[in-house]
Amino acid sequence: MSDLTLQQDLQGLKSLKNERNAAIDAASTRPLPKTFPVNELASKLHPESQFLKIKQVIKHSADERSFVLEPDTEKGTQHLAYFRAGQYISFRLKIGNSYVTRPYAIRSAPADALKDQYIITIKRVKNGFVTSFIFDNWAVGTPVEASAPAGNLYFEPLRDQKNIVGLAGGSGITPFYSLASAIADGTEHVKLTILYGSRQHDHILLAPEFSKILSKTNDVKLINVLSDDDIDGFEHGFITAELIQKYAPKTPYSIFICGPEAMYEFMDKEVKKLNLPAGRIRHELSGNYGSPYHETDYPADSRDKVYQLTVKTRDHEQIISAQSNESILVAMERAGITAPSLCRSGECGVCRSRLISGKVFSPEIIDGRRVADSEYGYIHTCASFPISDVSIEVPVHDLADQFG
Amino acid sequence: MKKYDVIVIGAGNGGLVAAATAAKRGLSTLLLERHNLPGGAATSFTRGRFEFEPSLHELANYGTPEMPGSVRQLFDWLGLHVKFHEAPGAYRVIKSGPDGFDAVMPTGQEAFINKLEELVPGSRESVTKFFDLGMESLMAFAEFQAKPNNIDWHAIGEKYPHFIHYAKRPYKEVLDELNVPQKAQDIMMAYWCYIGVPGDDFEFAYMGMMLVAYVVMGAYVPTTRSHEISTAILQTLLDNHGDAWFNTEVNRIVVENGKAVGVQIGNETIYGREIIADVIPTTVYGKMMRASDVPERGLKLANARTLGTSGFLVYLGLNKSPEELGIKDYSVFISKTADSSEQFSATKERNKQNDFTIMNCLNLADPGCSPAGTSVLYATKLYFGSSWDDVQPENYAKVKDEIAQQVIDQYESATGVKIRDAVEEIEIATPETFARYLRSPEGEIYGYYGHPWDQMLARTMAINEDDQQMPHLHFCGGSGFLMDGYSSAYQSGFVTANMVAEQLAKQEVTK
Ligand SMILES: Cc1cc2nc3c(=O)[nH]c(=O)nc-3n(C[C@H](O)[C@H](O)[C@H](O)COP(=O)(O)OP(=O)(O)OC[C@H]3O[C@@H](n4cnc5c(N)ncnc54)[C@H](O)[C@@H]3O)c2cc1C
Ligand code: FES
Repeated sequence: MSDLTLQQDLQGLKSLKNERNAAIDAASTRPLPKTFPVNELASKLHPESQFLKIKQVIKHSADERSFVLEPDTEKGTQHLAYFRAGQYISFRLKIGNSYVTRPYAIRSAPADALKDQYIITIKRVKNGFVTSFIFDNWAVGTPVEASAPAGNLYFEPLRDQKNIVGLAGGSGITPFYSLASAIADGTEHVKLTILYGSRQHDHILLAPEFSKILSKTNDVKLINVLSDDDIDGFEHGFITAELIQKYAPKTPYSIFICGPEAMYEFMDKEVKKLNLPAGRIRHELSGNYGSPYHETDYPADSRDKVYQLTVKTRDHEQIISAQSNESILVAMERAGITAPSLCRSGECGVCRSRLISGKVFSPEIIDGRRVADSEYGYIHTCASFPISDVSIEVPVHDLADQFG
Repeated sequence: MKKYDVIVIGAGNGGLVAAATAAKRGLSTLLLERHNLPGGAATSFTRGRFEFEPSLHELANYGTPEMPGSVRQLFDWLGLHVKFHEAPGAYRVIKSGPDGFDAVMPTGQEAFINKLEELVPGSRESVTKFFDLGMESLMAFAEFQAKPNNIDWHAIGEKYPHFIHYAKRPYKEVLDELNVPQKAQDIMMAYWCYIGVPGDDFEFAYMGMMLVAYVVMGAYVPTTRSHEISTAILQTLLDNHGDAWFNTEVNRIVVENGKAVGVQIGNETIYGREIIADVIPTTVYGKMMRASDVPERGLKLANARTLGTSGFLVYLGLNKSPEELGIKDYSVFISKTADSSEQFSATKERNKQNDFTIMNCLNLADPGCSPAGTSVLYATKLYFGSSWDDVQPENYAKVKDEIAQQVIDQYESATGVKIRDAVEEIEIATPETFARYLRSPEGEIYGYYGHPWDQMLARTMAINEDDQQMPHLHFCGGSGFLMDGYSSAYQSGFVTANMVAEQLAKQEVTK
């Protein structure tokens, strides 16, 4: 190629830069947009925080209450985030010195969220730290703060069968109540059969509310299963594989399980006997995981110890104590550290933190970490129990509105 | 509070490498990230027993230990120990409309050319010429991309005259000039989607280089998803005494006398001698700066540009193995038309016209990526975020399920592989998802659209001017000089950190 051609080609290339400069010169100096419709949609669906106010308290019994929530417009939440029936919101509370979170399923229908209303139903836990506080303190007008809706226990047409068998225990009935409501009002197009396990007849949550839904639709069925009471019209015993087969439809179905740890583990075993294809069984823990001591791979000599936990956040360091039977998250909450968390069952990853030194035990059933995280020393504090003195780096829980 | 040499905003691919590079060069470095994970789009997420790759299709410019590409060299310099798997074959492209075809293209220059000759007899000569040109581009790039702020174009031109000759001409135009038969062109057009610029707009230098790089050097995926790479780069930062603060949102870049001096997080200001933003300028100038502080050239440039496309992805965890399902390809491009301009135009609207879909089966590249007896598929489509402007919260789930259903149907009918009944887990990402997690305007994933004056060559030539919009403020990432893509963003982070280090060294001398 001749030198002349090269000169011409180089000139041609340089002209690109002139074009670029011309485009810049011709451009406007108007301020750039601060937001865009798609970003607005994101902030409506997934606000970092929802500021709520209690509109009404419904007392079902001494230990069961529903709270009707509305947006706290003064604090900046104009509307409630829409959700998929079965999702939860995680409340953020300051109790004494502790900053804690607790997830509660939204038991009202998604359609109600469009009218700026959520309802949650809470079962008081005996000596419960948060539920006791809620029962003592939440009244009409109380401002409360929660996360955006989260969780994956919802009907997904490309994955789930058109028939859902819901296995619920205790407060685990709440997501199914929402799904049943969404079926009744035409939002969801599935058939739902719920097997609801309670100890006694008067422990059944939301019975009158359910009757109303059942009268509106033929697509929802509810079978109460009582372990302690033997009453006509109710199943007696536990939710076993045989019982599921007795009520499950003859066409293919998906099973959704939601209940406290003990029931969840029992039902898991029963469901395995049905030999359903993988993916037909979905579950969510409704409640705390509890102590790790019963896990077969738990190192016995770490039992009943109190370890030293060093928590580094940004350029700040604090040393606290941590009990071997409580998660690292709870240890931090007890010490008044504002640590991030959402689901509290190992799944969402919001509590992800870096292990600098020491050892933790992460029970397999709640270890939802990414593979590389296990390799590079990251833990989910809600699903990690100290088995030595431990040092961790925890991100702040910055609740500034991420879309602000 | 201590003052840092370098504050990096955003731990995406560009920001991670910028921070790790600065720290490795001995600069005190603080990396700030609003999310609780590093990587931006280069992350992973779990559903049931699957851990999904959210964004990476194939890492380009990695290469082998014997023939390392720029990214491998960079990773070696950073001291990363990430295990990669080479993706088998280049790609399969299925044109499902009238005059359709189905081409399974191998890697390796010779094999690729042979295959094309078999599918399009008579294409050998022109395609061989194409490879020569693309190779020259690749070599020219390799020479200047590590130091793009100081290029002697004349010297490059003497060494790589064809590169300079064809550089800014549109890809399609050059293929025409080389007499590459139409069908061969169709097959060689597929990669436009990785940058989001159609073949008749896309400068030859870059697109030719890209195809040749993938074919000759192969493409790679990390063993435990992109999250592994991101975590490893972060580790280099930490090992070199850098700090990384997650869940930390930068609200504002603090400007004094027209110069960037620090950042504001919450009520606190943190000072840095140099600030690197792995955040698109539209957001920096639109939201993170007082209007009176915004530099005129930066503002005008941002206004002159067009936001790039966003994406729509369907992630599928299947309860059968690829063998059981009959999946044979890592990467399949499917569309009724092979015309990249038509494919591109269709991304501006949310309707069935937009049928260009890439389907990847990760197990074909990395068999251990999901439990035995399962497989992972993910489909990718491009959409301009604005085509989702009308979506409301209450119909959002329905909209995404409908498109996901179309994607599954399209894949099944184009390949004959039945997947619908094997779906164990599914997740769907949309422009909303990217707006949520990346915070990008309109959920863009590709930075700015490549107008001819705003593609790789023009950006490279303007790199110093672009860097001088405001003293002590620099940019890197997917909107950088090499445009979007993992390799490009990594490289731009590296280059920006090096430019910053040079400037800091000069300041030392003048002191
Ligand atoms: C997805 C999901 C949905 C749910 N939906 C519902 C629902 O709809 N309805 C419902 O009733 N429940 C629901 N739950 C359960 C609910 O979130 C709580 O687990 C339950 O209410 C327990 O509350 P508690 O704190 O009173 O109980 P506790 O058992 O007391 O929980 C206490 C935990 O706090 C720790 N702790 C004790 N003292 C302190 C201290 N000083 N500082 C910090 N921590 C301390 C304890 O060690 C223990 O780990 C749901 C759970 C999940 C995961
Ligand atoms: S809070 Fe969800 S994983 Fe720990």
